[in-house]
Amino acid sequence: MSDAARANALTTSYEVSALRMEIDKFIVPAVTLVIGLLLCFFMLFPLSSILQLSFFKDGQFGLANFTLANFQKYFTTSYTLNALWHSLYVSFATTIIVTIIIFFFAYAMTRTTIRGKPFFRNVIMMPLVAPSIVQALALIYLFGRNGLITAHLLQTGWNIYGATGIIVSEVLYCLPHAFVILYTTLSAVDIRLDEAAESLGASPFKVFTRITIPSAKYGIFSAAALTFNLTITDFGNPVVIGADYNVLATEIYSQVTNLYRFDLGATISIILLVPSLMAFMLNYYISRKTFAMISGAAQPVIPPSRPLKKIGYSLYCGLIAFCIILIFATVIIGSFVKIWPYDWSLTFGHYRFPSIGGYAAIWTSVWVSLIVGICGAFITLVAGYVMETRKPFFKQGLYLLAVMPAAIPGLVMGLGYILAFNKPYYIFYGTPWIIVINIVICNFTLGILSSISNLRNIDPSIEEASISLGGDTLRTFFKIIFPLSRVAFFQNFVYFFMRSMTTISAVVFLVSATVHLAAIEIIMLDNDGWTASANAMCTCIIVIVLFMLGILQVVAKKTGRGAEGSMAEV
Amino acid sequence: MKKLGLVLVCVAVALGVTAGFGFAKERVVVYTSLENEEAVEYLATAKKELPDLDIQAIRLSTGELGARMLAEKENPQADCIYGWAVTNMAEFVTKGMLTPYKPQGWEKIPAQFKDPDGYWTAIDLYAAALVPNTEVLKAKNLPMPKGWKDLLNPAYKGMLIMPNPASSGTGFLQVASLLVLLDPDYKNKPVEENKAWDFLKELDKNMGQYIKSGSKPAKLTAAGEYAVGCSFAFVYSSLKKQGFPVALVMPEEGAGYELETNALLAGAKNEAAAKKFLDWAISQGAMKQYAKFKLGVTYPGIPGPEDLPPLESIKLAPMDFPWQSENRSKILEVWQSHFLK
Repeated sequence: MSDAARANALTTSYEVSALRMEIDKFIVPAVTLVIGLLLCFFMLFPLSSILQLSFFKDGQFGLANFTLANFQKYFTTSYTLNALWHSLYVSFATTIIVTIIIFFFAYAMTRTTIRGKPFFRNVIMMPLVAPSIVQALALIYLFGRNGLITAHLLQTGWNIYGATGIIVSEVLYCLPHAFVILYTTLSAVDIRLDEAAESLGASPFKVFTRITIPSAKYGIFSAAALTFNLTITDFGNPVVIGADYNVLATEIYSQVTNLYRFDLGATISIILLVPSLMAFMLNYYISRKTFAMISGAAQPVIPPSRPLKKIGYSLYCGLIAFCIILIFATVIIGSFVKIWPYDWSLTFGHYRFPSIGGYAAIWTSVWVSLIVGICGAFITLVAGYVMETRKPFFKQGLYLLAVMPAAIPGLVMGLGYILAFNKPYYIFYGTPWIIVINIVICNFTLGILSSISNLRNIDPSIEEASISLGGDTLRTFFKIIFPLSRVAFFQNFVYFFMRSMTTISAVVFLVSATVHLAAIEIIMLDNDGWTASANAMCTCIIVIVLFMLGILQVVAKKTGRGAEGSMAEV
Repeated sequence: MKKLGLVLVCVAVALGVTAGFGFAKERVVVYTSLENEEAVEYLATAKKELPDLDIQAIRLSTGELGARMLAEKENPQADCIYGWAVTNMAEFVTKGMLTPYKPQGWEKIPAQFKDPDGYWTAIDLYAAALVPNTEVLKAKNLPMPKGWKDLLNPAYKGMLIMPNPASSGTGFLQVASLLVLLDPDYKNKPVEENKAWDFLKELDKNMGQYIKSGSKPAKLTAAGEYAVGCSFAFVYSSLKKQGFPVALVMPEEGAGYELETNALLAGAKNEAAAKKFLDWAISQGAMKQYAKFKLGVTYPGIPGPEDLPPLESIKLAPMDFPWQSENRSKILEVWQSHFLK
């Protein structure tokens, strides 16, 4: 090769890489813009449709059509107004109970030396693998009007339907969510403070009230806010066990489906949005402080607990674990028993689902969830990468958009989707894709938060090295970031998969003749009085989700990271 | 790991494609309010007898089905409605959401069971019934009720269960039949002044629960949760077959009933296929299937199920479909203001 040719080749390659640099400059803003637009279109636009329908006559935007008539109707009709009081009552009650129960549970896991901690930690996470309806189904079998415990063991006329039922089932449903937060908080707070106070002569009670609780106060508030939000937005449990006791979520459904009052449904959605948004903001504000506190905390060895304390906490944790196991056992056993609680002979009869969806619904759920898992994990990873390491100028706005979905109740989002997208030109309406999009958006918040926290663990110098060696954004992402976050990616995949298998409220308005989902079939089966078959459908979902979690454990173990934490993270 | 991701993507896309595009068959999307257990059987037969149709169906409660249609008004997802209460159907005729269609064999259906313009055609009739649990009655020493009025007996306190008329078609026909039965002058006064509300208020004192679906009162009663379930006739026969201790009482005052109708949707995307399905739905073969469950079918000369009393022997309430259809939302509003807390 002549010198000229060589020089020429050099220039060409230089030009090529220069061109690539040029393109590279646009990639980050372009990706940011696309994700931002997606969130606007699939989250803000449906929400705006709801606002429009509730504040404007016939949903027609315009100054002349502005009206508060829907809100007036809501606040002057006693049973719709009652739904608000009911919702607030059960949510506050649940929040207080869950926060207290889980604080001591998390305390036992982090500050005592009781045996069987891994077992307890796994059991408390169990409610995540089932739809938020499993608690209500089990409670009716145990404490219903003809429940095993109420009617047959104790022979009382008392039953759990109504507010009590909702509160108990929501408590059992919210435990894992609150646990994750308080466990993290209590693990991070420096235990030496407690020791110092004790050695200075403070009584255990004083240490507990003056040191332990105040040092965990942000975690406590954060767990409480999350529990409140989960309870007030839940649809599955109240619809099954609430009987005549209506809450906001069930009232939205009833206004829309029974009375064809989409405008009132939208109005109640707005009313539901207010407390859940407030709880979310509180949580958001608090969790930032908690993170600031957690960083760099030391974790010394826990001193052995006194025997009495150990026995007490073992019993306490054992009791909670027993309740959760009882719920799952009841549903699973109930799906195999001929006629609960009369005829205990075993049968597979309930697994021949007497519904149009049947097994097809389970398979649809599985592949929809696989797609949701892949899309969700990938988008949140890309969004997290762009925001965390590339810091585009739109970062704050994108971050706010990305964490907002947690504040929006699934049912409200679902209603918004019908209102906004049911037009002939949105070709994805009526296809499985609208369900995929809806579930990804509804669960975006946790996905992106775990992506970001994972990306923070990757040494930025690796990425810098890649860039200084000439790797462009795409290359760096696919060759460095993606392989390094594969465990986190798979965790996120499982999280989205799990949410997709178990979510009810988000998709109850979106299932169609062509797309039946297993979680919605449970509601339909139960509605028609096929409770045992509803249990059977629940059991199928639980088995599938557990199978997926099993794969996660294997993957995590293979790549050498503790698998134990993975479940806690999801 | 990259490979795993790639495999996952491929699997998901393949699944999505196969499920999304389905087969080369002609698709028809059906919304139905028939009970799940019967609908499963009818649709299985339909799939067998109409092999070139890809029938996609969803079962929705009477209220849910109407809400779906309204929500999808601008972009109808369904092609036809199969087995939906005539009371609700009438409202949608006036909204212009249906296309008149007289299916093959339409002339065989008696005139009172079809719309003269062909907007809807009834396939069957189902009637309200009380379903008591005989063992619970015995254990609590309660009398066997003969009709609605007997249910006012304070001994039944908390032991009755009835569907919510807003969500359940069965619940609505029960309330509507009482409005007509207990107040002969119902046409000349506003709904809220109907005498039947006083009766329903008395009944409310004994009511354990108003529940979303029409079959669930009978099913929960069969399971021993209540003494008497206000439900409909055929759910009784299926429970009896399963061995539950239940009885059937057709209210002596007259049993409210409802026609279940089919219709073609305006703007149906698969109109030709939908017409084939609607033709099949009133064929003699299909009607014989319905007759296994329903009290009466509209095709003449097909007897009802053996375990239910023959239709001729039952005293039916004088239903006024046009009136109750026109006043549906008012009736529900009054009902809710009285009985929802």
